[in-house]
Amino acid sequence: MSPGPSNWGSLIRRRPTLLLPLGAFALVLFAGPVWWRAQARDSQLSQSTLQWVKPGWAPVPLVPADNPMTSAKVQLGRLLFYDKRLSIDQSMSCGRCHQQAKAFTDGERTHVGVNGLPGTRNAMTLTNVAYYPTYTWANPIITSLERQMLVPLFGDHPLEMGMVGHEDELAARLSQDGEYPALFAAAFPEDGGRIDLQHITKAIAAFERTLLSFNSPYDRYKQGDTNAISASAKRGEALFFGERLECYHCHDGVNFTDNHIQQGQAFPEQGFHNTGLYNEDGQGAYKSWDHGLRDVTLRAEDEGAFRTPTLRNVAVTAPYMHDGSLPTLEVVIRQHYAVKGHSAISGKGPNPLRSEFIEGFKLSNREVRDLIAFLNSLTDQSFLDNPALSDPRASASGVRAGKTGTQTGGDEHASNK
Amino acid sequence: MRIFKNSALLLVVLYALAAAAQMQLPSGTLQRVEIEFAARLAGKPVTCGAQYEGVGTKKSTVTPQDLRFFVSDIDLLDANGKAVPVTLDQDGVWQYKSLTLIDLEDGKGACRNGNPAMHTGATGTVPAGNYRGLRFTVGVPFELDHISPLSAPSPLNMTAMFWSWQGGYKFIRAEVALAGNSANAAGPMVENKAPAHTEAPGDRSPRSSGFPVHVGSTGCASASPTTAPAAECKNPNRISVMLPDFDPAKDVVIFDLGKLLADSDVTTNTPNTAPGCMSGENDSDCIPIMKALGLSFRSVPASPQVVFYREAK
Repeated sequence: MSPGPSNWGSLIRRRPTLLLPLGAFALVLFAGPVWWRAQARDSQLSQSTLQWVKPGWAPVPLVPADNPMTSAKVQLGRLLFYDKRLSIDQSMSCGRCHQQAKAFTDGERTHVGVNGLPGTRNAMTLTNVAYYPTYTWANPIITSLERQMLVPLFGDHPLEMGMVGHEDELAARLSQDGEYPALFAAAFPEDGGRIDLQHITKAIAAFERTLLSFNSPYDRYKQGDTNAISASAKRGEALFFGERLECYHCHDGVNFTDNHIQQGQAFPEQGFHNTGLYNEDGQGAYKSWDHGLRDVTLRAEDEGAFRTPTLRNVAVTAPYMHDGSLPTLEVVIRQHYAVKGHSAISGKGPNPLRSEFIEGFKLSNREVRDLIAFLNSLTDQSFLDNPALSDPRASASGVRAGKTGTQTGGDEHASNK
Repeated sequence: MRIFKNSALLLVVLYALAAAAQMQLPSGTLQRVEIEFAARLAGKPVTCGAQYEGVGTKKSTVTPQDLRFFVSDIDLLDANGKAVPVTLDQDGVWQYKSLTLIDLEDGKGACRNGNPAMHTGATGTVPAGNYRGLRFTVGVPFELDHISPLSAPSPLNMTAMFWSWQGGYKFIRAEVALAGNSANAAGPMVENKAPAHTEAPGDRSPRSSGFPVHVGSTGCASASPTTAPAAECKNPNRISVMLPDFDPAKDVVIFDLGKLLADSDVTTNTPNTAPGCMSGENDSDCIPIMKALGLSFRSVPASPQVVFYREAK
């Protein structure tokens, strides 16, 4: 189905109960069994249901069976995501490092935790984060958003939000709030709206799963709008998907990454790769404080391997790489991928453990510009501007918690209706 | 008449009780048991807020920052050396199945990430008998280590023991802060206020503000990203403790912080590694720690642990 122009701005919408039969039909038709279950349960528990707001061609995210999507949960999760009370000194919310205007990154190399110490890794974009089978830069153990957020919330090393040992205090802070008890009750009526870690993480994860971005100029181009991207971007597309540059071997699929899971997919796709950013000892070693996948698996062959990030909205997520060490896309192209990995010019030669697809290439200045034009065409401005995803406490057009149900942003005809 | 009726009823009840007792006889009667734990440093009891001198290779002065560990699969040994499992009370807080969290910190002083509640003894029952030995495991059993901490029962829902990036729990969380470090005075409830280590470029001071020891299973990645590890982790890091001649009525299990840190320099941290020892294979600070705990590390094989021992009450 061909999406209309800029139809996907609104990610979630509430439907009054009266429209349930119609909504249920649409859900069954377009979204499959998970949504049917969620919707059926919703109809008993709350007055609204939820549907993905995304084009029909985009895949349906996989949702944990124990955390079905409901609009009440998403609404609560959105407030929690932007709530500084989730850090020990109340200085930092999830949204501190995941800012919407930067596609939910923060523009910094690494962020300083509440203890004043720098983190080790660059804050990742949350663009289409629902489709990843594993989370963080390199951790095959963490397979859900619900468990991923335990790392920034409760991790000791590096310390980020610093709540370790203070889960009771966190629950107390939220319980004393004027709005949260009612919102938890609406989101988790089956558990009496208990305010605890399980519900906090479920709600935030539900909100994060609505961070869907499929409305870039390149998406419109692929859906038939031949003028949606420039001639330069089209030449860049050919370079990107060509055998000279080999970019697409890892940055493939609907999200330009070889890490993907969606509804109906039997097995998750996973890709962790060493791109040759470092080579500290001539034998492939990365920096001693971050060996990537190897730190988790303890397998020598996983040295320096990191999960392929999506390239959606990549133009606004600088700086780049797992440690934010490369400042611009031009540097990433010219001083990293074009030279067989950055270590070829900054370390002890090309990394012997790097992916076989990183063999370097020569590009003219015009070709570099074309490639960047292509990458720029992956920016979905409607995602970066969508009021439904913004900080509801800061935005005038945002939802006031527990009062109005409609999340505005984008027009009415979401194409998966 | 009425008295007779009541007496008859009483007799019936007594008979029933006797029958019930009879039925229990084949499995023997049970006796209560408590295995007590205490922390020592240089022969003294360890208390949060107090200072201890002469710790580690540099004879440093430290104050406790955390003192918690999981104990599981507790057995008493009878006169023939036969192991008899202790059935732990399921108290809904500290003990679950064969697991118990021993909590020797009270939230005071530098233990500010802890809590006032303590749990110094594992309580339960064993068949009545004469026991003269104790054995237990320090750690969370494999089948409990990789469940979701979000829906886990207490004590597996305490975030201080979460080890999320490793997909499990810290088995031991034993931390000391250097006394006199301003960061360790009362203040913001965060640890390692001063640069303790070198997580990132620009922070390479080997100076330490303390020495946290976090021990747990590492190398736990499973074949499939959607399941918990099906096989044991590469480094399980569970510690088997055997204490012959242990009498639960007369003895206490000592967790000796001084012996844990005896061969460590707690004032420095190997550059570009985790603070203290967090079980990392790349962290040389773990060599003496793992040795003291009797765990194999890198290519060094396991040797007898020296941190846990018996002491008369």
